Amino acid sequence: MLVACGNSDDKTKKDKAKGENEHVLTISWPKDIGEVNPHLYAPNEMFAQAMIYDPLVRYGNDGQIEPGLATAWEMSQDGKSYIFTLRDNVLYSDGSQLTADNVKRNIETVVENIAPHSWLEVVAVIDRVEVLDKLKLQIHLKEPYYPFLQELTLIRPLRMLGDSGFPASGTTKDGIEKAVGTGPWILTDYKQDNFAEFSRNEHYWGEKPKLEKVIVKIIPDSQARMMALEKGDIDLIFGSGQLAPEELRVLEKNPQYQTLISEPSSTRILSFNSDYGVTQDKDVRLALQYAFDRQTIIEHVLNGIEQEAKSLFAPGFPYSDIPFESYSYDLEKAQQLLDKAGWIFEEGAPFRSKDGQALTITIPYNSNDQVHKSIFEYLQGAWRELGVDVKLIGEEDQLFRTRSKTGEFNVIMNDTWGAPYDPHMYLRMMTGEKQIGHYALKGTAHSEQLAANIAKVIRSTDESERQSLYETILQTIHEEAIFMPLSYRTNYLVANQRLANLSFSMQQFEVPLNQYEVK
Amino acid sequence: MKKHLSLIISSLLVLVLVVMALFAPWLAPHDPYTTDIANKLQGFSMQYPLGTDHLGRCVLSRLLYGTRTSLLLASGVLFITLIISIIVGCLAGYIGGLVDLVLMRICDVLLSIPDFIFALVIVGALGGGIKNMFVAISFVSWVGFARIIRNMVRSLKESTYVQYARLTGVPKRKIIRRHILPFVFPQIFLLKLIGLGSTILLISELSFLGLGVTAPMAEWGMMINDSKTYLMSEPTLMFIPGIMISLTVLIFNWFGDALRTAMDAKI
Amino acid sequence: MFAFFVKRLVSMLLALFGITIIAFGLIRFIPVDPVEAYFTINQIPATEEAMTSMREDMGLDQPLGTQYIVWLSHALQLDFGTSFVSKKAVATELFQRFETTFLLAVTALVIIIVSSLTIGIWSASKNSGWLDWLTRTAIFTIASMPSFWLAFLFIYTVALKWGVLPLMGWGSFAHVILPSITLALGFIPYYIRLIRSSMREEMKKPHVLFARARGVKETVILRTHIFKGILPQLITSLAMTCGGLLGGAAIIENVFAISGVGHFIVEAMLARDYAVLQAFIVIIGGLYIIVNFIADILCAVIDPRVRLKGGAL
Repeated sequence: MLVACGNSDDKTKKDKAKGENEHVLTISWPKDIGEVNPHLYAPNEMFAQAMIYDPLVRYGNDGQIEPGLATAWEMSQDGKSYIFTLRDNVLYSDGSQLTADNVKRNIETVVENIAPHSWLEVVAVIDRVEVLDKLKLQIHLKEPYYPFLQELTLIRPLRMLGDSGFPASGTTKDGIEKAVGTGPWILTDYKQDNFAEFSRNEHYWGEKPKLEKVIVKIIPDSQARMMALEKGDIDLIFGSGQLAPEELRVLEKNPQYQTLISEPSSTRILSFNSDYGVTQDKDVRLALQYAFDRQTIIEHVLNGIEQEAKSLFAPGFPYSDIPFESYSYDLEKAQQLLDKAGWIFEEGAPFRSKDGQALTITIPYNSNDQVHKSIFEYLQGAWRELGVDVKLIGEEDQLFRTRSKTGEFNVIMNDTWGAPYDPHMYLRMMTGEKQIGHYALKGTAHSEQLAANIAKVIRSTDESERQSLYETILQTIHEEAIFMPLSYRTNYLVANQRLANLSFSMQQFEVPLNQYEVK
Repeated sequence: MKKHLSLIISSLLVLVLVVMALFAPWLAPHDPYTTDIANKLQGFSMQYPLGTDHLGRCVLSRLLYGTRTSLLLASGVLFITLIISIIVGCLAGYIGGLVDLVLMRICDVLLSIPDFIFALVIVGALGGGIKNMFVAISFVSWVGFARIIRNMVRSLKESTYVQYARLTGVPKRKIIRRHILPFVFPQIFLLKLIGLGSTILLISELSFLGLGVTAPMAEWGMMINDSKTYLMSEPTLMFIPGIMISLTVLIFNWFGDALRTAMDAKI
Repeated sequence: MFAFFVKRLVSMLLALFGITIIAFGLIRFIPVDPVEAYFTINQIPATEEAMTSMREDMGLDQPLGTQYIVWLSHALQLDFGTSFVSKKAVATELFQRFETTFLLAVTALVIIIVSSLTIGIWSASKNSGWLDWLTRTAIFTIASMPSFWLAFLFIYTVALKWGVLPLMGWGSFAHVILPSITLALGFIPYYIRLIRSSMREEMKKPHVLFARARGVKETVILRTHIFKGILPQLITSLAMTCGGLLGGAAIIENVFAISGVGHFIVEAMLARDYAVLQAFIVIIGGLYIIVNFIADILCAVIDPRVRLKGGAL
């Protein structure tokens, strides 16, 4: 009964015996990979989706658009349609060929199921798809959208599934039949919540991975991951948020392991809800900004792993050269601001209050993210000094997402998403209902003006107009004190000495396993 | 004297715990909520006798305040369940008939869900937090006692005392108050005292899973949960609260045991 | 015997019915509106008409009684709805993990029975002496330790420092050892005491003394008279322990990162996955009631006094 469980440990033992572990890498992941549907979100894990499915175009290392499944593309004069020429002789893992009909089918099934994608402009803006030839198709947009190509590079939802992967119903909105992709990896074995095995796609159209197999072990506990690494059960832990900064430092010092920290990939930003509770009061927001000690957090909570954020978007991203003033740490000023605004300490009370209402801040966070947890726990203690009562709510993924949509929070982590979303997507989200960015914008003075500016900048086809609009927008954000950038988030990994050629991809949620090899 | 040695020592220890809980604000060297992030994860020192946790908070202080949390909660549960189980038990035992049948059936059903699981489910439905945990644990605990009381009351009802009182027309309430309660109460109280240890365990288990107290409250189970991430670098953070839980439960169990032996000896 | 059986059966059925009421009722206490939650999760704009029609679809506008009947009929067919988190059928999720937890629980049970019988019987025969006292104190101490802490201690020493057994997860026989021992340790003290005291009591009973006087061999006495005497109590306790094992498993699975029913339940609690919660109460409660029922019947079969004394307490 035990052996029949088909477990991962037995597998690696057997493989080791055969000497096949030569080119097998074992990586841990905190959540089960899901059924790997290329067109949907959770519970499908992004890194797995990126391994199996390819996009039409790729996001190159320097931000350039590179060929993917499409070798050539041209945009019409009015920016409302794009013609793509597909690569010839690309085979899916089931042997079927990639055709324009198949690509059309993929795009249409996503667009039809608009409900979960309504926030993603690239899907919302597609009007229709026209097949011109066996390997040529034209996508018509409702309006011009300058980041269209960038967003096609996303890991989801516009990647291609083979025809045999579509269920009988014809749509992927409730699931897929099987994970048939054109990507460098094929899913060859899977046991829910236990492990997943990917094997190299020997018919891959691009550069084949050097590894033969990747085994993903599902280990939800961060400390268990550390131990597994120590025992040799896994080779690699990838991704910030999977290890507390503390743990990373411990592993760094150990010569048994190699650690790697990436270039800044996105910005850690704490976002206020200007439409809820005490943070509707701009003075409260300002005071908290002044009481935000970036230096200490970066040095002691993040163990110096990341750089302080001087602008809303990490250097290297479009429009990030626009300087963004942050508020410097000045606890006294914060105290004064609150006093003047009427938030005072009643007799012997530990927290401030005004007109009978206590200065309570609710901060939810994803309990799986080690870094978020550390940052907020620190803030709870630090802001206590200021007389602010911080209520922390650590919740599981789904619950956290729900809460972030209902807006029942005062402060929440609202990191930017890095390439290729920054900066346009981040700002665009501020105009969508039930989005974190929107809650930040909602209660500000002149919120309609801000929203109007954002809507304009996305549609704009004039470079200089965009530049000045971005400047105005960022200026308003600063004045209203709705965002608190903390640091540039870096990705990191820890691996044992078996592996070589470790690196990061431009898209922070992708694990570039194609590059990795065993020494 | 020797016979009572167990009782004496264990009661003294219980007293120590109670003192720790009551006088925590005076005994603790630091505020348990103040963070000193620059000094996080330190070992034992003069300033922080038992070291600091991952946020730089004094472990000793948190340990002392944790005593408060556990003891307060546990005694609260004891008090509430005492009242509820006595009411239910007396009603069922004394009135008998349909009331007894219905009440006992309800108890049966409630008992058919394992303790911990039931508490887990209630907290799951209501949400975490110290209040909901209190409700959940109380709800789970009173049932068994109600049944015991009911049996006691039933047998007492047949005693000569009570028979005589009923014959002479003494109102029910008086009978219960004068003849039944004084006998039931000490027995039940004793049983509950013995159960204090397991209540404390239950509190720490729920908090460990993240369903009990919320940050930044000091509670032993939660301290162990927090220390998980640092098991490799600072294992003491995990050892210390665990030792505290074990010692506390041990002391209460010992106390209950000694008390029971002493009372049995009397009877 | 038949009367006893029927009485117990009726009792059991009533209890099962009661469980369903509790499971159904629990959901009414939850502060979240399921319709709103559904819209938020699936990112569909919640308009008044959409919400009302969803409410109708979900049957939430019906009177409570009707809702209960609908829910019950689904439940009897083992359809407990879909999990909020994984979007899969709750029943499937539970059954998938059942095997793992079952193995863990059974192993722990075996460890409990074997160790508590050996130590208990041995301890019952020795009356005092420092070894006996030492055993009793050790047992007492272990009983005071929280299971999750013991688990960490084991992990830290046995798995990490000594590298003897695998750390976490599941798969080989080695993986089962540490978690099941830790789980068992929560119950062994209780059983040792139980066996010890029950045996002592049995030993004082007249029929035992008489057997001794007749010159029956000690081992035979032990087996037939004493052991049989404590069996009913043992069986009843074991039945109740099944429930406790599940609770313990929830924690043990959490610490050892084992993907079993216990772990799943805790995750569901944290995620407020109500469909799972409901299913859990019904299934686990139901199983528990049935197990206890079987235990009662077994006791009656073994010990005639039980069935003669009557049925419900």
